[in-house]
Amino acid sequence: MDAIRLTNLSKKYGTVLAVENLSLTVRSGTMFGFLGPNGSGKSTTIGCMTGLLDPSGGEIELLGQRFDANNAAIKRRIGVMPETLGLFEPLYAHEFLAFVARMFGLDEATTRKRVTELLAALELTDTSKTLSEYSTGMRKRVAFAAAVIHSPEVLFLDEPFESIDPAGVSLMKQWLRRFTEQGRTVFITSHVLETVERVCQEVAIVTRPGKLVWQGDITALANDGVVVCEGKEFRALEPLFLHLTGERYADLNWL
Amino acid sequence: MNYRLIEELISLRYKLLWAKTRSRNGRIAIFLAGYLLLAALLALLTTGGVGAAIMAIRSGQGEKIAQAVLGAVFLEAILASNILGFGMNAVFSDLELRRYPLLAGERRLTRHLIGIVDPFWFLFLALELGLAFGMYGAGAGSLWFGLIAVLLLFVSNYLLARLVALGVERLMQRKGGSGFLMAGIMLMAILPSAIAPLFKKNPALVTSFVARLAYTPPFLAAAAMIHPTLEALRAIGMLMWWILALTAILIWMENRPPQRRAAESVKMAWDGPTDRVGAWFGPELGPFVAHWLRFYTRNSRTRVLCVISLPLIGFLTFQTGQRMGPHSLFVAALGTFAIVSFLGVSRIALNQFGYSGGAFRRYFLLPVEPSATLRAASYAALTIGGGFLPVVLLAWIILAPYPLDARMLFMLICSGLTGLFGFNALGLWVTLYNPRKGNYASSFGNDLSLGGNIVLIGGVMTAMLLPRLLYKLWPVVVSPEAWWMVWPLPALAAAFYFGTLRAAGPIFMARREQLLAVVEGKA
Repeated sequence: MDAIRLTNLSKKYGTVLAVENLSLTVRSGTMFGFLGPNGSGKSTTIGCMTGLLDPSGGEIELLGQRFDANNAAIKRRIGVMPETLGLFEPLYAHEFLAFVARMFGLDEATTRKRVTELLAALELTDTSKTLSEYSTGMRKRVAFAAAVIHSPEVLFLDEPFESIDPAGVSLMKQWLRRFTEQGRTVFITSHVLETVERVCQEVAIVTRPGKLVWQGDITALANDGVVVCEGKEFRALEPLFLHLTGERYADLNWL
Repeated sequence: MNYRLIEELISLRYKLLWAKTRSRNGRIAIFLAGYLLLAALLALLTTGGVGAAIMAIRSGQGEKIAQAVLGAVFLEAILASNILGFGMNAVFSDLELRRYPLLAGERRLTRHLIGIVDPFWFLFLALELGLAFGMYGAGAGSLWFGLIAVLLLFVSNYLLARLVALGVERLMQRKGGSGFLMAGIMLMAILPSAIAPLFKKNPALVTSFVARLAYTPPFLAAAAMIHPTLEALRAIGMLMWWILALTAILIWMENRPPQRRAAESVKMAWDGPTDRVGAWFGPELGPFVAHWLRFYTRNSRTRVLCVISLPLIGFLTFQTGQRMGPHSLFVAALGTFAIVSFLGVSRIALNQFGYSGGAFRRYFLLPVEPSATLRAASYAALTIGGGFLPVVLLAWIILAPYPLDARMLFMLICSGLTGLFGFNALGLWVTLYNPRKGNYASSFGNDLSLGGNIVLIGGVMTAMLLPRLLYKLWPVVVSPEAWWMVWPLPALAAAFYFGTLRAAGPIFMARREQLLAVVEGKA
């Protein structure tokens, strides 16, 4: 079964087109990388797929069902870590996680157990600080914990690895691998191509405005293999990305 | 001194002001109109100052009137700047300015120059300059001494306002600081009426008090405006000493940042009071209401407003109820009971999502109907505000100088419930149609939108004046005999509130992208 299916998804902000007829499919049990340059509509696409934004056109199917912002039944089965993290600053980490868990329908006993375990695993046991006092990396860990606390079937992670220390990234990668081994799906956007290359089985690359230019299997790259695209062989994700998006480094001779 | 960069930063302050307005569609015209209004106000204040000067000279009490005008302006500037803030403080904080190649002294100068050239301060300067020109025009004193005195007074006024703000900020960072502050405010409010009889009994005290005031900046500036050379020079010299002393204290305080309180480990609490109150709303909405109760009760300004609102209501009831005739206190209470349940929570209730920032999007990721958050937030405001009604009712029973009258109590309850439902319904509409990004952590400054201010200030004014007006035009309506006439009011207000909740859900969904842009600071 496909975990995610987008058909001609488009999103306009006034007259500005952010996503243009985007169609893609993500199989269940896949770690899927959604890549693109800044402003290419990645976060907007995730916003549409998670109910934050209303698409201007097209269809979204999650876990085999049509999805819109009011579909609470599907929302209960997905987890989201937004790019802006979406943390309630005046709360303590355990209060925030308990709130999210209760809203996702977890009973009190399960909530307490999972919150305690997550905080310990993510080394967030400093209970003297509210979320506003946490460092960026700690805040990211809390947002990650909030996305997984209800064991979702599809996990959307917008820029999950930035600002997190290597130990944290390693732990998250380990969890995400186990997550997909259980048949669940992870949809990641990231600019850290080396990490995406190592953890994702498949990627989609979009350019401005949210236009799909390539989707394919990249498992070969993690095993020193090659990916063939437009008749060219690529040994890493970065040259493939730059080739497809046409991104070039400007040559500033004064720099 | 890197004057060029300092000048660039000051102009950046105005560019940011402009850009803030430009980013909102079609607001440029309003911005221009605002500045035209400001210009008109400046002109008005200047002529007002001139008028005061002419009156002062004609009455033959030039110095006394100048002292009174300058003293009042001086105190108002300190009070207003502390309530409304110092413009773009956060953008030009010392930390932010460190990214530029400026030395510590240059950063300090930049910060304070940006603070003092705020349009807000020009209003006070205009009035003071008007007075100086007026005095000169009316033939009292020298123009140059007057102008120098005004400029020195203006600088000392700014410095003292900054010092007070810094003191208040430091106080608020201490445990129990908000309580101390509240006690201070109450003391300042009560002090004039408390010492007035003392002054009446001992006129010598007034003379000695005024003699001491002669060394304060506004009195020194008044002396410099009125008196011939030597006296004026002495006053100007003392004003300069004031500026030096205030600058030294300000630098001393700024160089000693508050010590961070030692982190106290908080025991993980799973079932706090907010959770227990939230549970009244059922298993589905309960955690949501508990979350909002926490959001309200952790807000320092909401806490201060809640604590202040009770004595404030008592004071307003007493003041409004003066000289109206029989039952006057009761008539005044009919008005103040309507606002008591809303004052404390007004900051967030009129702008529910304005303080959520990026967390606003979280509400749409939760597996509940998104408008549930609107309901939960409003129920939280209703619960906290509603909690004030039994307290003020009890206070009324104990303190009011009337025999216990069930009809009065009934009318007061009706008034309280009408205000509770009516204001919270209006709060929902303002939240949806006129939100504003605010800073949850700030304790001072007015960060409500225009709509929020209209509801709050208009509501308070209406609650204060309407019963008085009815008492004059149609006294029977506000007398205890008319108790049976008031019951439809809370019923109508409740219908308005629940109707609003019903209508607001779809509007909230439809407007969520605009709301998101505003609360995340992108609009």
